[in-house]
Amino acid sequence: MAVRIGRAETASHGTIEHAVILVEGGKIIEIGEDLPVERGIPILDRPDWVATPGFVNPYSRAGMDARAGKAATPQRSAAFELRPHQGVYDDMLEAGVTTLGLYPPGTGMPGQAIAIRTGKRRAEEALLKEGCYLKVTMGTTAQEKKDLIKAFESADKHEEKVQKEREKWEKDQEKKKKKKKKSKKDDDKMARLDDDEKGDDGFEPPAADPDVQPILDMRAGDLHALIRIQKASDLLHLLDVIEEEEGLSWSLRVPLRNDIDLFEVADKIGELDLRVVLDSRVTLEAGTRRERNLAAELTAAGAHVVLLPLSDSAQGHERWRMEVAHLVSLGLDREAALAAMTLEGAHVLGLEERLGSLDKEKDANIVFWNGDPFEPGTKIEAVMLDGRFATGDPQ
Amino acid sequence: MKSLKKLTTTLLFAWGFSLGFQAPLQAAPWDEEDDSEEAEASEEEEEEDRYLAIVGGDVYTGLGGVLRNVTILSKNGKIQAIEADPFLPEGTEKVDARGMRVYPGLVALSATNRISRGLFGSVELPEDHIDHEAEGEHHGHFYASLAQSHIEEVGQDQEDHFFDAQVDTDAVDSFDPYSQYLVLALATGITTAEQGSTALKLKRGEIEGVAMKDKHLTSVSFGSPASRRSTREKFERAAEYLREYRAWEDLNDKEAKEPSRKGVDGGTLNILLGRNLARFGANSRDELLGIARLAQRYGFRPVIVGCQEGWTVADELGRAGATAVVTPRSRRFKDEKLVRPGGTSIENAAILHAHGVQIAVTPSNTGFELSGITGRDLMHLPTEAGFAVRGGLTNEAALRAITIVPARILGIDHRVGSIEIGKDCDVILTDGDLLHYQTFVQYAVVDGKLVYDKEDEIFFAHIRPRPELPPLDPVQVEEEDEASEEPSEEEEEQDDEDEGDEDEEDEEEEGDEEDEKGDD
Amino acid sequence: MKSTLLILTAVVLASGCRTSEPRSSATAGGERSLVASDAPYLPAPLAAGEEGLALRCGKILTVDAADRVFDAGLIVVRNGKIEYVGEPVELPEDFPVIDVASSWASPGMVELHSHIQTGGWGDINDMVMPTNAELRVRPTLVPGNRMVRMACAGGVTTLFGIPGSGTSIGGFGTLYKTKTRAGFEEVVLRDPGGLKSAYNYNPQRGGGDLGSTWSGLTWLTREVNDRAVAALEHGREDLALADLKRVHRGELPVIVHCASAEGVAGVVRLWKARYGAHVIVTHGSWDGPMSARYVAEMGVPVNHGPRTMNYNIARREGKIQGGAEAYMEAGVPDFSLNTDAGVIPQEELFLQGSMSARLGADSYQMLRAVTANPAKSFMIGDRVGSLEAGKDADIVISSGDPLDPRSRVELVLIDGAVQYSRRDDGQWF
Repeated sequence: MAVRIGRAETASHGTIEHAVILVEGGKIIEIGEDLPVERGIPILDRPDWVATPGFVNPYSRAGMDARAGKAATPQRSAAFELRPHQGVYDDMLEAGVTTLGLYPPGTGMPGQAIAIRTGKRRAEEALLKEGCYLKVTMGTTAQEKKDLIKAFESADKHEEKVQKEREKWEKDQEKKKKKKKKSKKDDDKMARLDDDEKGDDGFEPPAADPDVQPILDMRAGDLHALIRIQKASDLLHLLDVIEEEEGLSWSLRVPLRNDIDLFEVADKIGELDLRVVLDSRVTLEAGTRRERNLAAELTAAGAHVVLLPLSDSAQGHERWRMEVAHLVSLGLDREAALAAMTLEGAHVLGLEERLGSLDKEKDANIVFWNGDPFEPGTKIEAVMLDGRFATGDPQ
Repeated sequence: MKSLKKLTTTLLFAWGFSLGFQAPLQAAPWDEEDDSEEAEASEEEEEEDRYLAIVGGDVYTGLGGVLRNVTILSKNGKIQAIEADPFLPEGTEKVDARGMRVYPGLVALSATNRISRGLFGSVELPEDHIDHEAEGEHHGHFYASLAQSHIEEVGQDQEDHFFDAQVDTDAVDSFDPYSQYLVLALATGITTAEQGSTALKLKRGEIEGVAMKDKHLTSVSFGSPASRRSTREKFERAAEYLREYRAWEDLNDKEAKEPSRKGVDGGTLNILLGRNLARFGANSRDELLGIARLAQRYGFRPVIVGCQEGWTVADELGRAGATAVVTPRSRRFKDEKLVRPGGTSIENAAILHAHGVQIAVTPSNTGFELSGITGRDLMHLPTEAGFAVRGGLTNEAALRAITIVPARILGIDHRVGSIEIGKDCDVILTDGDLLHYQTFVQYAVVDGKLVYDKEDEIFFAHIRPRPELPPLDPVQVEEEDEASEEPSEEEEEQDDEDEGDEDEEDEEEEGDEEDEKGDD
Repeated sequence: MKSTLLILTAVVLASGCRTSEPRSSATAGGERSLVASDAPYLPAPLAAGEEGLALRCGKILTVDAADRVFDAGLIVVRNGKIEYVGEPVELPEDFPVIDVASSWASPGMVELHSHIQTGGWGDINDMVMPTNAELRVRPTLVPGNRMVRMACAGGVTTLFGIPGSGTSIGGFGTLYKTKTRAGFEEVVLRDPGGLKSAYNYNPQRGGGDLGSTWSGLTWLTREVNDRAVAALEHGREDLALADLKRVHRGELPVIVHCASAEGVAGVVRLWKARYGAHVIVTHGSWDGPMSARYVAEMGVPVNHGPRTMNYNIARREGKIQGGAEAYMEAGVPDFSLNTDAGVIPQEELFLQGSMSARLGADSYQMLRAVTANPAKSFMIGDRVGSLEAGKDADIVISSGDPLDPRSRVELVLIDGAVQYSRRDDGQWF
């Protein structure tokens, strides 16, 4: 199927006028300006439409119910709470939100987030990915910092244990080998070094505590961390803890309160090339009426900004684009703004290869508008999810 | 984690500075840490040297001397030179101190923990951190506080406030270097603040190295008869143990059994070893005498917070080597039933000082009062010291009472509290006599970094804006000799004007200390 | 009535003439005669039964209308009144002299909002009825109590002791002096001295069915005042309203507790615009200065304190602002400061001036705000508040600038007699 539209805002590589999007098997197989369309392929011709990627909110608890269990542990998955048949997800889809990241409640390391498709009835259909990120909270009290240090220490302990076991195992191996052949000592050493790197020399490390495993994964960079801080100084304390954790892959979540002083560390966040999940609002400098557009400031400082709707409800997601539009009117780069609702969120969920922008090979999650999505009068004409029109009647 | 490690090294490092007692006892069993690690804080990261020069001010060193029109050069946060015209390496950052006075940064004891974790305005954090006082938007609350103030008498509520809610060992791990309260502290001239026995360097925008010393003070209770008894017992037991241990050590007999440490209070032992200072909260003459005698008997130097009736037993306290932390304005009426002198006296600080008691000053409110009452909180620390002068203390001793003496109490006087070569470059620049009520801090420098500029912060910038001086470095000196001369003349005029501005009363106030050094 | 008016006009005219004189010329009786006769002032020896003394001062801040300051000046006191202030002159032989040549002389300070008359917090507010126009502070006054003695040692010589602000009309306060050893008759300057009323916040304590809101309280206040005005017009005797009638005759001032911009404006509307009373706004805290221009236009004096600083109470401006500076800038007449003692200890009245000066106001004007201005605004300017011939000899001798906390009060004279001497009594404050 081909869709020929007035304009496509790709969120990854700018705007394409007179765009043609070819969709097959749920994926975008081609996108470009005035692409020729082979005969026989049905064409939907809508020159007055504008296409954007389906919106991605990576940090939501819409429709979630913590009754599934309140114990906050890093191994818990938000999937335990998922009830996809709820109307709220249908409403989200109608508001153009095609992907949601859902996280477990709690502080410390309360568990791991999942990503879902909206508008699906069954969990298997809805679930896109588990273990998207480990939620970590940090800030306000010294206790949270100490807890985080402790968490890494528990991982240290396990690694020490593994190291000891390995040494023991190696000694055993060596003894065995010495018994077998004494002459091939040097070769053995080489082999062992190689094996060390490969890690599959037959040594079976002891299993980690299920609560420690996610921390090990996080440390290794296999599990992304979304770390919530509450004020500028929390970032310094966070860096103090994780400075030496080089393998870490992490993003920041900062709930924006009226007087937040995040601008103090905007440059630092930019330097670290971090992704920051913010609410779509303007803040004030402490004690004053000086407005700060943190999304714009952080973008200018080189950080990647993810914007969330101010309310986690379905209506909140409908208002979302206007909240972001307000930030655009106050200086936020327009392209960064669109990416903040799509591709950047996909990054946080570890789905950037799969969705979040109008690119070849990506899931065909597309919102079709009757004009500029950041204008208040604009309406959604149709929403495509995995290559199918989920809402709106294209005929 | 880095800061934790640093804290440990700082601790080890600082041990070297505590009293010489422990040298022969290095491996004693109360040493919980390995002295062999006594490494210097060697963070050799080989960064580029950082220079800052405070140019052309009158430097009040805090040691009694005044150096007129000199420049302080800081290298990597330490004072490297105090000279008339030191060589300034290229790239030296300059702070224009012409017409200003330079004082050591002030040291605030038992300061509000808002400095280190304070949040302004309507930040909706968990309840225990909401700062009702600073919210300032609910008249209802102020109404309530006004009503409250009609019940409580100001100045009579300071019996025990030093010890409540201040046990804050977490101050370092929650230190907020962006706190607006921290800015207010710097605006007052405070560069070091104590929170729950931890001395914090008020750095802005960084958390590394904010902890200067942890647990230098051991609080000793001496209020109730029961606590006096138990305190005496603790001291007796610890002293006994020390005697036994030394005897055993002198014996040098491997067979002899090492004396048991069981039942010996660690804090008390540290006091006797001179490692920790004992801090008492006491006001009445009886308590003070008891403390003086305890201190003399066991040979330690007590720090006494409050000390309201100290002036009646000043000689005893002086002989006991006490340090008094006083609020000169505190008011407690004499017990009329007694014939002997009692109650508070405005002369307390002066009398104690005259008897050899070191004086530190704290205001009655060690927080920041933003609801309208002025002159009694931490923002007016120098004002409080001014009241000690009213009672007869010299200006110089009053300055020490908010700089070097509190630094000594916190065990950090080798780093801060006076302007000396080798010390941390923590200084403040003022537009006049620090103890004068109209004087404002214009700049604050911490660890050789400019961290506060009155004109750049919204709080006080509108009050008597700083007059603009011609630039420090006349540009293009070579080409336009005449042009470069002119500003310097103007400069002199400006300076004259500044001096003229200083109220006549200034001259009166500082007669003694200035006249001696005045003719440069 | 007519005669009062006439006298008033005469006074206004006289004062008009006086102010039109060049600043350099003297304003008070003793000196004027000096100018007229062109002969040097020579104090007469003390006659039998007369009491008097002279003070040789290092500096004299007269705080008079001409803001005269004398370096090395002389003050001559006779029978409790000041006879001369000025350059040193020769004194008759045997004239008692106190030599304080290294000290400063300034007028005894005047406090219009003080609650220390009982010596503590008790017994200051009868709160059964919302309006108590019939009450007087007088019976609770303990002359020379320990708080009063401290006040004296702090250079505060005149207090308006008033009821608390728990009710809309608290009753009538007493103007008294802080003599450290004297009885009631000797300390009273005027009794009743004036009315204490409370407009918003504190009287809104609820409890009753009427008077838990501003509107209810305002109605109650108006009701009792209307009754007093009616009684005045119809010549009706009413014991409970006798003192209040004097307020409406313009004989006594009323000082009204209020805070916030709307509270300050409300007080001016009620008491000045509606009743034309001689009203003084007291407190005027928080964002009160936002109404300063209206207050100034209506010619109502403000007695500011104990909260003299405003940080973001009403508007997020991020500035720490002095209330005094704001009121002064708006041109409020006879601006004064208070401690609301013992909210702030009475002896620290000067510090309200120092702190206001710190936050931007002129330091000399702040000295006025604790001496001449409160006296003038409370219709006792002819008696106290400045060092001028003919006025009460309430004189403070201190070691320096009276607003500097470091300056010690050395000597306090009230009605010409030493009430506190640091040398003889020990330093109280």
